[in-house]
Amino acid sequence: MLDFFARNRVATLCAVTILAFLLIGAAAPGYLSLSTASVVMSNSLVLMSVALGTMLVILTRNIDVSSGSVLGLSAVVLGMMLNDGHSLGLAIAACLLTGAVAGLINGLLVTMLNVPSIIATLGTLGLFRGVMLILTGGNWIEELPLSLKALADNGAVGFSVLTVIVIASLIVVGLLVRQTRFGRYFYAVGDNREAARHLGIPVKLVQIAAFVAAGVLAAIAGMIFAAQIGFIPNQAGNGLELKAIAANVLGGVSLLGGSGTVPGIFVGVIFLTSIDSALVFLKIPAFWNDFIAGAVLLLVLLLDGRVRMAVDRAIRAKRYAVHHHNTPAPSAPTNSETMSKSRTQEAGE
Amino acid sequence: MKRYLLRWETALLAMLIAEFAIFGMINPRFLNLSNLLYSTSDFAQIGIVALPLTIVIIAGGIDVSFASAVGLCAIVFGIANFFGMPLPVSILASLAAGAAAGLFNATVIHVSRIQPLVVTLGSLYLFGGAATVLSGVVGASGYEGIGNFPDAFTSFAYFELGGLPAPFLVLLVEAVILFIVLHYSRFGRSVFMCGLSEHAARYSGLPIKTIQTITYVMTGVFAAIAGLVLSSYFGSARVDLGTATLLPAITAAVLGGASIYGGQGSIIGTLLATLVIGYLQQGLQMSGVPSQISSALSGALLVVAVALRHGSAVLADFVAARIMATNRKRAAS
Repeated sequence: MLDFFARNRVATLCAVTILAFLLIGAAAPGYLSLSTASVVMSNSLVLMSVALGTMLVILTRNIDVSSGSVLGLSAVVLGMMLNDGHSLGLAIAACLLTGAVAGLINGLLVTMLNVPSIIATLGTLGLFRGVMLILTGGNWIEELPLSLKALADNGAVGFSVLTVIVIASLIVVGLLVRQTRFGRYFYAVGDNREAARHLGIPVKLVQIAAFVAAGVLAAIAGMIFAAQIGFIPNQAGNGLELKAIAANVLGGVSLLGGSGTVPGIFVGVIFLTSIDSALVFLKIPAFWNDFIAGAVLLLVLLLDGRVRMAVDRAIRAKRYAVHHHNTPAPSAPTNSETMSKSRTQEAGE
Repeated sequence: MKRYLLRWETALLAMLIAEFAIFGMINPRFLNLSNLLYSTSDFAQIGIVALPLTIVIIAGGIDVSFASAVGLCAIVFGIANFFGMPLPVSILASLAAGAAAGLFNATVIHVSRIQPLVVTLGSLYLFGGAATVLSGVVGASGYEGIGNFPDAFTSFAYFELGGLPAPFLVLLVEAVILFIVLHYSRFGRSVFMCGLSEHAARYSGLPIKTIQTITYVMTGVFAAIAGLVLSSYFGSARVDLGTATLLPAITAAVLGGASIYGGQGSIIGTLLATLVIGYLQQGLQMSGVPSQISSALSGALLVVAVALRHGSAVLADFVAARIMATNRKRAAS
């Protein structure tokens, strides 16, 4: 039981989230309702999309801190195209293209010029924000057409087109990294870059693909942002990159690359977002927000780290115990016997 | 001579001189000595936190929580002052808060053995949140500042010695101290050793945890100093005093030659990079460039400078490999 939770960060976080929901529900009646779920879901869409893209980059053992600015830049492109009278489809295509180009710039800097990804994206964080401000001239983009805002409307079924888009991208990315050969490359490149190269995996191409995908997902987040808010302020997406990394860490994505899952991202983002809505219900002033988010993040990490270390130690001790027990035996064939013995031991606990 | 010419610091100095020349041509008032000196007050805090950050990075860690530690320490000072503590006690309380913040980071990093970036990302939120909550204690809820400081404190930022404004003076004194500590002390050498190879450092008997803890505590203390300087400069302690230093300070450390993988970096480099970044902003402002373009340009500067550094290293490796190959071929034939 403990073993299961220790090996599975997603399960731990799921349990903690459900427990937290139940406790808050007990403290503030009316919290546990479909309408809360719908609010949490629609509030989490922007972060979900950005965090999903960030995950792909982190899987390849890089990091992307420019996503907040990519979001802002692509949202501005979308808004300006719409206000110039272009059709919604064309504007969205331009928005996604902007994200892809921004991601491509990041990817080329990292793979071709060998700039460490945190530095490269730190630079482009300022660069893209600046380009966005040059485009807008420092003004907010307002009076977005209704066709865009309609995307955020909750229809009769209780969720909007945007929710469908985000869920679809979660499923697509989830299937990509689990089921396709190219998707598995992301893990291989992040786990051991040299080994991946020797296996003939196009290491640079995979990294560039991760950055481009992150850019496109940030652009989708920009579209969601514009549709939900209805205008685009200068600071759109500011600080979101750090929140996305925090959601990744909560969701069990290792910053060392090569491990992480899409369901983890989903739970991590929902957890972070539900803190905000829970505070409203518990009538706690909003300025506790960051404090609680930080404390929870550190607490989960601390517990997770300690538990994982303890489990590792227990497993190692078990292995040595079996080995020790085995050494006095004179002949080799006991090997398979020990294996089965250790397996029954593990099963017994 | 060649040894000094080929250093990264020389390139930074050249960049700084080029900046002066270009901005001086665009707007001659930029080169006015008093302007050059007084504009440092607007960016001295970046250097104050970037210098200890360089040491953290050299030791193989990273700290992003200093940005909110600046605000937290300023708020602690403001609260101590609000409750009528004498000035030295308030300042000490603020410095102690900074040291505690650094110690907290180091402890969590060592206990959980998680990457420093993740841990300090968590404490970035935690300290910022703590500062907001604390400022609520004295009724200055939200992002309002705590003011009403004694005159002796508020006049400090406008004090000058030999023509140098106080914030810049603080930066210079700090740079001298940290320069000696990092480059001319046993502790400094062990910091480099830690960053180059933690295993090698451990096997040679260095107390790695203690060394890394000291680097984080130093960052916390200097974040407190930056918070004090800023509250003195603005006349009020606000939660968000340090948020604007986060990216420029990391930029300064990296542009100054610190390797994000540890084991490389210098105090003089970071100091020069701070000046390059600071004067770039000031110069663009004085040349009438809107602030939005200047932020794009400073982002581009970081990318180009770092790409040049890494690109030239890749090129040098490539050239060296080719020369080796031709030599080998020649030897074989």
